[in-house]
Amino acid sequence: MSAWHSLELRVYWTKLKSMLKTLSLDRQMMENLIIAKARQDALQRKVEERRLRLQEAANRRFAASGAMTAEDQEQRALYTNVLEYEQDHDWPKQWKANIKENPDASIVLGLVSYLLSCSDHPVVQLLRKHQYRVYNRLYPIVSRSHLESASLSLNSSHRTQKFLHSEMKRKAHRSADMNIDDQRFISPNSSLPLSHCYELNTNCDIEEEEEEEESQVETTVDRENSFEDLETFLSHLDWVPPDDLDTDPEQACDPLIQSDIEEMEARVLKEQLKAIVKDIHIAIDQLLSLCLLSFECLNTASYRDLCLASIEEAFFTPLWSALMALFRKVHREREQAFETSMRIYCNSSPGDIGVPSKLFPNDPELLQGSYPYKAAVQELKLLVQDSCPQRKLECIVRTLRLICAYAENYRCHNESDSTPKTAAIGADDLLPILSFVALRCQCPQLVAECAALEEFIHEGYLIGEEGYCLTSMQTALVYVESLHSGITNLPPSI
Amino acid sequence: MAATGGGKTYSFKVVLLGEGCVGKTSLVLRYCENKFNDKHITTLQASFLTKKLNITGRRVNLAIWDTAGQERFHALGPIYYRDSNGAVLVYDITDMDSFQKVKNWVKELRKMLGNDICLCIVGKILLLQTRFSGGAIVVVYSYAESVGAKHYHTSAKLNKGIEEMFLDLCKRMMETAQAEERLKGNGASQSASSRRGVQIVDDEPQATPTGGCCSSG
Repeated sequence: MSAWHSLELRVYWTKLKSMLKTLSLDRQMMENLIIAKARQDALQRKVEERRLRLQEAANRRFAASGAMTAEDQEQRALYTNVLEYEQDHDWPKQWKANIKENPDASIVLGLVSYLLSCSDHPVVQLLRKHQYRVYNRLYPIVSRSHLESASLSLNSSHRTQKFLHSEMKRKAHRSADMNIDDQRFISPNSSLPLSHCYELNTNCDIEEEEEEEESQVETTVDRENSFEDLETFLSHLDWVPPDDLDTDPEQACDPLIQSDIEEMEARVLKEQLKAIVKDIHIAIDQLLSLCLLSFECLNTASYRDLCLASIEEAFFTPLWSALMALFRKVHREREQAFETSMRIYCNSSPGDIGVPSKLFPNDPELLQGSYPYKAAVQELKLLVQDSCPQRKLECIVRTLRLICAYAENYRCHNESDSTPKTAAIGADDLLPILSFVALRCQCPQLVAECAALEEFIHEGYLIGEEGYCLTSMQTALVYVESLHSGITNLPPSI
Repeated sequence: MAATGGGKTYSFKVVLLGEGCVGKTSLVLRYCENKFNDKHITTLQASFLTKKLNITGRRVNLAIWDTAGQERFHALGPIYYRDSNGAVLVYDITDMDSFQKVKNWVKELRKMLGNDICLCIVGKILLLQTRFSGGAIVVVYSYAESVGAKHYHTSAKLNKGIEEMFLDLCKRMMETAQAEERLKGNGASQSASSRRGVQIVDDEPQATPTGGCCSSG
């Protein structure tokens, strides 16, 4: 009996023990939770404190520059992010030490390319933010023009035309604000012609900065898709000349109003282009200064240039085709003129374009079925393939150098019998040859490309050889455009 | 304009203007080759040349931009002049038509760049004994003075007057740059956001009255 009792007791005891154990475990867990919560709070506080501290550091850093503008505030907020990033990551310190130890252009380039590969660094986040902003402005303009040309080719724009027609009559003629609410027009008053699906918060208040970043991360996936989107439709984008409008007999649109519409549209497009170009300059300036703030060691004349080149390359590469679509739309008339000349003069010889006969081989056998200056033409054709202004500019410089080298060669060959003269190729010879090369290049897009380079090439380059080459290229292009338009522009026959 | 201040190197852009065949090329080649041999000829040969100088202890980098003299390339002349600190305008003293062209360019340059640009008018002599009438000289010199330009006679063949002419031009460009620095107060660094303004000149036909010029040969 006692045995039975003791057994029961033991069972009871075990139960009690296990219950106690559970209870103690629960209590422990509770305690742990409380500790964890406290720790988390402490950590949170620490993070907050650190943020405040860094904010102060950023404030101190900017204290020298008197009054605070919105721009300064934004910069300060960004710099706070940079300091925060550097507390969490070691690599910036290591690179800084590296550069201090062994200052060298290749290390600087290494640093900048590493920096641009760190998608969580504030510089890169700012880069993306600006790219999306520019892209969001470009997308509706270029995609609209694509839709437009598609509808034109289907001859279904009649309704739109009619609508526009009545709209034009109803609205005050040439109203200053141009608030015609049609797909073709975007009011210049709305600073951001946002597309239906991609809205971007342009508010840059410090408080909102974090939220904005979060929302940006969320939409990143979408936007990346839209980059692809853009590329696919750009590849389909083929230039449809607007003469389709005139050839449709049903569209008995008053030619006067028609030209008014076109004129107005061109003006709006130009304004939009101007605004986008300005935004891009501001964006690049801001990126460069944040980059230099993050890595003060880069703030020397030559390193700054390297830094700028890398930033520009990263900035422009995904955007260039969309930008080019807008530039081509704005320079459509010039491109058409170029194309007309190209068709008329595609088989002309250098002499027809005014190149002195001593500067190209007169003996066709010497060319072996090719044409003079072919190497330069081939070089120039590569220009459209690059997507960064600096590289395009280098391509133009290479083209001109090739021209000079070939001209020298041809002349030596032509003058082999007489005493060799020392006079080298000057602008008087260079421009006709360059015009010939541009004609043979058969690429009307060059017009828009050079116009874009003119906008985006850094001023520092424009005084030197690069600037000279770009200026000469543009002069040659304008000359080619004018070639078809009349006998007055024809070179004197030699 | 393109000059950098504060004891550093000056960078000047000089455009070279003149009708075809007045020999701009040989003039500038002579200048850039003379002292420093072929190294200073860039791969663009005589169209774009650079020269480094040291004037009163200040380093000066010259970028010399040749322009096409042919009429058909003139439409875009202004984009060559943009941001120039100086211009060398060359004419042939035996060809007063080429002097008339110089006058047109002067007008265009002043219209576009105002008094910021320093001008040199250069009468090119082929041979030293080339004769020209005294009346022509008076007209040419008084014209140069009236537009605030210096006039020189040079001969590339005899290497005469070229060095002097460029030296004087550089000094004047330095003065202009220094005056501009003082005006800016030297302290205010140019903000990167201040983009260059592209000036647009109406390309109306340059019909200048030819009266008063010694066009009768």
